[in-house]
Amino acid sequence: MSTLAAPRRQTSRRRSQRTAAIARHALLILASLVVLVPIGYTIIASFKDVPEFFGNPFGLPHTWQWQNYVRAWTEARIAVTLPNSIIVTTLAVTGSTVLSALIAYGICRREKPFAMALYVFFVSGMLVPVQMIVLPLFLLLKAIGLFGTLFALVFPYTALGLPLGVLILTPLVAALPRDLSEAARIDGANEWQIFWRVILPLMRPGLASVAILNGVWMWNEFFIPLIISVKSSTQTLPVGIMSFVGVYSTEWGLVFASVVVSAAPVVVAYLFMTRQFVAGLTAGALKG
Amino acid sequence: MRDNANRSGSMPSTAPHPPGATGHLLPQAGEGRARRLQSNTRPWPGRRRRAAGLTQRYGHLWFVLPGLIMFLTFIVYPMASAVWLSFFDWKGIGKNFNFVGLANFHQALSSPGFYRAAENNLVFFIAILIFQHTIGLLIAVQLNARPRFMQVYRTILFLPTILSLIATGFIWTLILSPNIGLLNPLLRQIGLGFLARSWLSDTTFALPAVILVQAWNLLGWSIIIYLSGLQNIPQELRQAAEIDGATTWQTFWRVVFPLLSPSFTSLTVLTFIQIFRVFDVVYVLTGPMGAPAGRTDVLGTLVYRTAFGVGGMSSNDARMSYAIAMSVLIFLIMGAVSVLLITLLRKREVEA
Repeated sequence: MSTLAAPRRQTSRRRSQRTAAIARHALLILASLVVLVPIGYTIIASFKDVPEFFGNPFGLPHTWQWQNYVRAWTEARIAVTLPNSIIVTTLAVTGSTVLSALIAYGICRREKPFAMALYVFFVSGMLVPVQMIVLPLFLLLKAIGLFGTLFALVFPYTALGLPLGVLILTPLVAALPRDLSEAARIDGANEWQIFWRVILPLMRPGLASVAILNGVWMWNEFFIPLIISVKSSTQTLPVGIMSFVGVYSTEWGLVFASVVVSAAPVVVAYLFMTRQFVAGLTAGALKG
Repeated sequence: MRDNANRSGSMPSTAPHPPGATGHLLPQAGEGRARRLQSNTRPWPGRRRRAAGLTQRYGHLWFVLPGLIMFLTFIVYPMASAVWLSFFDWKGIGKNFNFVGLANFHQALSSPGFYRAAENNLVFFIAILIFQHTIGLLIAVQLNARPRFMQVYRTILFLPTILSLIATGFIWTLILSPNIGLLNPLLRQIGLGFLARSWLSDTTFALPAVILVQAWNLLGWSIIIYLSGLQNIPQELRQAAEIDGATTWQTFWRVVFPLLSPSFTSLTVLTFIQIFRVFDVVYVLTGPMGAPAGRTDVLGTLVYRTAFGVGGMSSNDARMSYAIAMSVLIFLIMGAVSVLLITLLRKREVEA
């Protein structure tokens, strides 16, 4: 824009622009430090033994206690809770993504009977407070015999992932040109084939958003498993860490090693797919 | 972390496809339905026209069915069941199961504990809201100016948002705890030792500390929402204002900020819903009792404690029905306030 300004004003303008840039970077660096310093110290803390928490709070560990991670694997029961978290999240993400894609295709034409009503019905599920359904859910799961299995988490998570999926995917499917499915129909494809071969591949960016948004909350969810995964063999990572803390509240090194292990998969996925995460979170946040 | 921060970079449609987003969880169910669909959609010569017409009209509902069953079983049924159970005096264990009408609701609305928790939620909400609409907006504006390393900053600043609140809670325990916390020793080293205190059990500072931890976790949302709002504002509008002689400050307040009102609405409603469900961060930092002395008690911990009793799962003072009644009440209030917020905020939105 400086090229538009009169030459006389150019130098002062450029100088003020530089000042603005410096202030901007100062602010962003400060904000980044507020994020990174606590995370960095958590990683450092996961390699310390207990006396060092008190004797050497700021420095790096004198001896790096890799042992913390080995012990956390058995003593903090990560060997159980990590696979549980992976299984539950994978199944529920897949389930809710596929089911909401199906629903989105089913209701993408407003003029079809019930299409709008179903859309509103599913989307209003976003307002359901988990606090309200989790207690009856606990009773329901007991009654139908899923209690004490991982499906006691998979099914509710899948259902709770649907509102967001329908919200994001329905407009995407509705915006696809109708000629595509018409052409496939003339070529003799049935509705199922049209969905699977024509519609679904075109929905990929939307499916990614849905999978990421749901995946993040499902991996991190604490309140539902706290109540439903009473059996220790079905606990997921966040609940596992909390129940370990209750028992060994002074084994801080192990606690932080567990925290690092619980956060690592999502963080690594995020660092590798930052753009998809940002796109997914944006889609979810704006529509939510 | 690719380097093409194009304007539409944050739109889902431009994101490359992810691995494994489309799996085959329910192949059998799908195939079964496919076969039925196949037989229904083929215009069989002998078939009555009315049946074919029905398929034409209602065939799309087969696609909705599996999700609908899931939704009805695990969300709608528990909700209905919650409303039903809230009219009884059931404790969660034992045989006591008598109809008490609206007594649970009456009790909740006349208990000081309910109001204290609701008030803490409200303070929580307002504080987070201010935080997001000031610091979040400020950071989004800086990122929108596309400084060098914008991608790096953005990646870092979104990071807390994807961390669980349990992880967030422990990360900040390491800073705030009276035992292992880094803040107190730091204050002592720089000669401000008189400020050191056990932040999370101090009656004045516990709630602000918990709120700041939650704000740290939620900051990314406000940046995401404002940043994408800013990216949707046509550059021409700003240039026009600048040519008309507006200062940067005037351009922001008169042109940019009014156009951000949809972001303002989304963020406010999202924050409201998130904060009235808040539970994890309080549970990790100050425990299910909302220590000290209920100063950090919120509706989430209150319902949890009431349902299962103070002594943990299924203890004697558990009052399941009463807890469910409270959660129904919270749902009704939340629903009403959300609708009100959306209506009020939409009114002040400007068309871009």
